[in-house]
Amino acid sequence: MAGACAERWDGLAEENMKTLFSQSMNKVFGFFLLSACLAVSAHAQQAPNPPTNQDEVNKQLLRRLQELEDEVRQLKAQPAAVAAAPAPAPEPPSAMEMPAVNEVAPRLKLNFFGDLGYQIGHYYGPTNAFELSEFDMFATARISDRVSLLGEILFTGQADNSVGLDIERLYIKYRHNDYFAATIGRIHTDIGYYNTAFNRGDYFQTTIGRPAMYEFDDQGGFMPMQDLGVVLDGKIPSGKLGLNYVLEVTNGRAYGINVEPAQNSTDGNNSKAVNVNISAKPEWGHGLDMGFSVRHDYLSDVNNLHVSELIPVVYVVYTDSKYEFLNEASLIRHAMPGGPVFHTSAFYSQISRGFGPYRPYFRYSYVNAPETDPIYGNDTEIPEVGRINGPTLGLRYDFTPHSAVKVEYDREGMDGQKSTNGASAQFAFTF
Amino acid sequence: MVTLGLALLSAITVAPVAAAGDPIVVIVNAANPVENLTVGELKKLFMSDRSKWDTGKSVAPVMVVAGAPERTAFLKAVCGMSDADFTKYFMQAAFAGKSATPPKEVGSAAAVKAFVGGSPGGIGFVKAGDFHGDGSDGGVKAVKIEGAAASDSGYKLKM
Repeated sequence: MAGACAERWDGLAEENMKTLFSQSMNKVFGFFLLSACLAVSAHAQQAPNPPTNQDEVNKQLLRRLQELEDEVRQLKAQPAAVAAAPAPAPEPPSAMEMPAVNEVAPRLKLNFFGDLGYQIGHYYGPTNAFELSEFDMFATARISDRVSLLGEILFTGQADNSVGLDIERLYIKYRHNDYFAATIGRIHTDIGYYNTAFNRGDYFQTTIGRPAMYEFDDQGGFMPMQDLGVVLDGKIPSGKLGLNYVLEVTNGRAYGINVEPAQNSTDGNNSKAVNVNISAKPEWGHGLDMGFSVRHDYLSDVNNLHVSELIPVVYVVYTDSKYEFLNEASLIRHAMPGGPVFHTSAFYSQISRGFGPYRPYFRYSYVNAPETDPIYGNDTEIPEVGRINGPTLGLRYDFTPHSAVKVEYDREGMDGQKSTNGASAQFAFTF
Repeated sequence: MVTLGLALLSAITVAPVAAAGDPIVVIVNAANPVENLTVGELKKLFMSDRSKWDTGKSVAPVMVVAGAPERTAFLKAVCGMSDADFTKYFMQAAFAGKSATPPKEVGSAAAVKAFVGGSPGGIGFVKAGDFHGDGSDGGVKAVKIEGAAASDSGYKLKM
């Protein structure tokens, strides 16, 4: 019997069981010793018992040992990685099921974003149509501990059915520490919250369209969403208040019909646009982000227009896994040299709540620019802005962790015109 | 001999199985002077919102791969996020141009301890059953959370 037990022990002491034991030994060892002590005592007491009882015990023991041998065989058949983790854990989802930033080289990460859709209603045009919206090629590279690069190339479906190509962002960033980073290149301006929170990736934003005040300026929007220049940003030592700053000095926006808004290589004047954004993410807020930005620029064009533009924006945002509550407001000021001042008001409020993969949402947007505004009321510079307001109601369904379908209804009222309705659907994805 | 076999059986059948309510132990490199962290500080450390310790060492967070119960519980309690939300957060941060690096992912609690023990700025977390605190964990130490040790009744990080 002693030999048999020794053999069993040798068998059990093979690699898998060693791993099993080594990781549970601290807890098990005390119990083992206690059991052994009790066993010695029990053996002494059992010695006088009739052999038949001992045989039954031995049979039971052999049966149990046989069961254990079966378990050991099953353990051996499993991969080594399983043997290294003695506590049974749920099998992790496969890489296919998780969104991820793709590392294509030790320093280079690459992701693609795209969205396709279908649009119905006068809001979008006289006919219904499938739509190729955007295809976004996004790459980042970390070339040292402190220096990183970002490049983004965008293919966009145009109203005339052509596909436009744009270098959306391209910059190099030096990060000294949490309190100071410097960037130079083509950027998305840090006006308010929405523009840098969601950029071009429709996959990330809950809705199909952007709020009216944040429409991209190369697609009919009236605020400067892209620019070229330098950016300084970082944290402000503020403890649990979590203050951050951003300072941008850029070329500013060009104005004119069929003019590229971002001044990529020449500037219409020598003055530079300056934007400051101060935000707070208080530690007690758990998803609360609030702040303001102020941007100033002088706008010039071939007609010697010289308008002082001030864009202040305040925002209060709350986001967590379930809730999204975005609120931003702006009062844009245009002033002619020594002349009158014009104000354009704009705000939006958006709320959504997640129910598993489903997320219904609602947004109300409002913009009101005076007809006499030298920039927004002058349709020789950009399309006239006027008054635009209305609700957006929709539902987002994330059918995989990296793709979503959205359906949305919009109603838009415009100054002096009949309100229009539109419905659209969008598939947004990343890979 | 019978009793030796019974003892052996008892030992084999008692395995450390994680249960709901078991503490999650936050560990840092043994040379790190930090003794206590708040949940808010933990969130900053794991969501790349703080890159340096007070000692000047770079923060190097590590966690087990997605699906591990201690990871799911930790992300929910500290970051208020699911695994998918956590991954999406870093994707969106990268897309927004922020200097946010996700925690390193490893395959086991032993690998978490090995990484933290080998990195001066390392920080990670393991199930209480995987942390012995007797010097056998390899150059790591447990830190208190909100002033409570993992063995205290008021400890906040539990599975």
